[in-house]
Amino acid sequence: MTLFLQLVLSGLGWGGIYALAALGLTLIYKTSNVVNFANGALATVVSMLVWTLHTSVGMPIALSWLLAVAAGALLGALTDVMFMRRLRSAAIIVSIVMTLGLLLLFEGLTGVIWGFEPKAVPLVLNGPVITYGSLAISRNNLFIAGLTVVLGLVLYVFYEHTRPGLAVRAVAEDPEVAMLMGISRRRVVTASWAAGVAIAGAAATLAVPASGGLTPTFMESIAVYAFAASVLGGFGSLLGAVVGGFLIGIVTNLVAGYWSNNLQLTLVFALIVAVLYIRPEGLFGRRARVRV
Amino acid sequence: MRPGTREVDRLSKSLLRRAADRAGPGSRPASWLAGRRIARLGTSAVVVIAALLFPQFEGGNIPVMFLATTALTYGLVAIALNLLMGFGGQISIGHGGFLAVGAFTTAIVATHYHFPPIVVLLLAGLVTGLVGFLLGLPAGRLRSHYLAVATLGFGVAVPELALNMSLTGGFTGVIMPPQQVGSIQFNTPVPLYYLALALVATGMAAVISLLASPTGRRFRAVRDSEEIAPALGVNVPLVKLTLFSLSAFFTGLAGYVFALNNSIVEYSQFDFSLSLFFFAAVIVGGLASTWGPLVGAIALVIVQQQTTSLGGLSETILGAAVVLVLLVVPGGLVALPRLVLRLAAWVWWMAQRVLRRRTLPPPQDPVPAERAMGASEG
Repeated sequence: MTLFLQLVLSGLGWGGIYALAALGLTLIYKTSNVVNFANGALATVVSMLVWTLHTSVGMPIALSWLLAVAAGALLGALTDVMFMRRLRSAAIIVSIVMTLGLLLLFEGLTGVIWGFEPKAVPLVLNGPVITYGSLAISRNNLFIAGLTVVLGLVLYVFYEHTRPGLAVRAVAEDPEVAMLMGISRRRVVTASWAAGVAIAGAAATLAVPASGGLTPTFMESIAVYAFAASVLGGFGSLLGAVVGGFLIGIVTNLVAGYWSNNLQLTLVFALIVAVLYIRPEGLFGRRARVRV
Repeated sequence: MRPGTREVDRLSKSLLRRAADRAGPGSRPASWLAGRRIARLGTSAVVVIAALLFPQFEGGNIPVMFLATTALTYGLVAIALNLLMGFGGQISIGHGGFLAVGAFTTAIVATHYHFPPIVVLLLAGLVTGLVGFLLGLPAGRLRSHYLAVATLGFGVAVPELALNMSLTGGFTGVIMPPQQVGSIQFNTPVPLYYLALALVATGMAAVISLLASPTGRRFRAVRDSEEIAPALGVNVPLVKLTLFSLSAFFTGLAGYVFALNNSIVEYSQFDFSLSLFFFAAVIVGGLASTWGPLVGAIALVIVQQQTTSLGGLSETILGAAVVLVLLVVPGGLVALPRLVLRLAAWVWWMAQRVLRRRTLPPPQDPVPAERAMGASEG
């Protein structure tokens, strides 16, 4: 039982990272209907900026983390304005192709600029491990899980109880009617891209110490888990992204603890296929209505 | 259609009409079209002859032959992927996984049994086709981004499985034994090149004839609208299943050549970037075109080969090419010649207009003033 609880507890760290990455995907998907396959690559750029600010410029890690996340928001907004905006009326498959092209472009550029040797980024929150009886959790993991929950709550309050949040929900529900109500769809979508990339960038930086170094491709497998979390939670649901992320983090940690950690991606693939086959709308999503 | 192309299109058509008028009543624009067909056939003939004669010049150069066979192998995968994406409308970013299944099947079967090469080749295709069928079962119910996520999962799961199974040799992989028919050694560069060329030709011919058949029309009906296709009596899940199986089958055939060309098959050859490479090859070459995927694969193999000195550069170029295709040249590389021709036609037309305005007196109004006024009143 202690082992089980300990595995659940240490799964919270990765779970929070998957949940944050899935939240980033969800924010973008909700308003623009685009699943951003480039989100991992954009998040890697944010982590590289953290590394540059911390190592080369010499800023404290927390400050460079915050600055880089702000830069990530700018990067997300620019990506939308430069590449995605003009495809808004095109078929969905075109946007998917575009985000995959951007994935290649940003991953390549990161490699050209920062190189491929793994870089170390320190923990944003360091300190002794917190223990409770025989259970233990590192401060960083607790910070990640707490950040995820707080961010989820903040987003929930923003969406449900503020006017700008109402505008975002209106655009997600029906962009044309929202525009008739005087809401600027452009601004809402661009803001979503900014928020989505910023959150994924924050998560990526927190994931670096546990994933053995920062490389241009280190987010690839994390992105797969994030997609799985989004599918599990139902694309477009904030609660689904958070719950899906934590579930995937905990389950993969349990499998690794009790059995082996060799086939994690295969497990996640099987999970994606199973969810999509049995319940395509996920745990919290709404069944998509098809309009002809 | 992007704004702007329509205008250029209209311009080149009016230019065509003028040329026909000048040439007299006997000639029609159709003759120009026939000329285009001849030009196209001629280009194809030149390409085929060049491909056939290529080993005559470079046959002794082993690195070049390796690259040429790689380009053809990837070209076959791109042709198979284009069948799925371009003509079936089903996205896949996991075709590296199918290539891995084909290559591992080839190496494992050839190691354990002494089948003739044709049997090994067909087994590679059939086993991969079966995997495609199995993936098509859930994928038949999915569309757009869900399908992309599922195929992405497949693409990253296959190499991981290959790393952890004893059948696939784990970390070290499987060494490909030589394959021989009579005195022809398929693991030597020149025969392997011709084998790859023959498979590419077979793949292209199969796709072309398939598209002309009722099945091919069903593919395109599903691509154009998954909602309307069932109303026309198309069994959409069955079509998707067929598409995935066929695409996987041809990718499996490419896996046979891949195994021979690399002489070892290991999990690390099939990382996610390979799947992205195939995807980019189809888009950059020209989605839903006959030659596009092959042209794209060859171009990208050359790009990759030329940029090995700087890590990340080839990916940057691939990504930039995909973005450029989407924003500037929707038809991909194969649409470039036509675009250049249209641009030239436009420049020629503008030049003529400018010149005529300089040399000729202003043209007289062909409609008498009174009639024009009457028309506006009535």
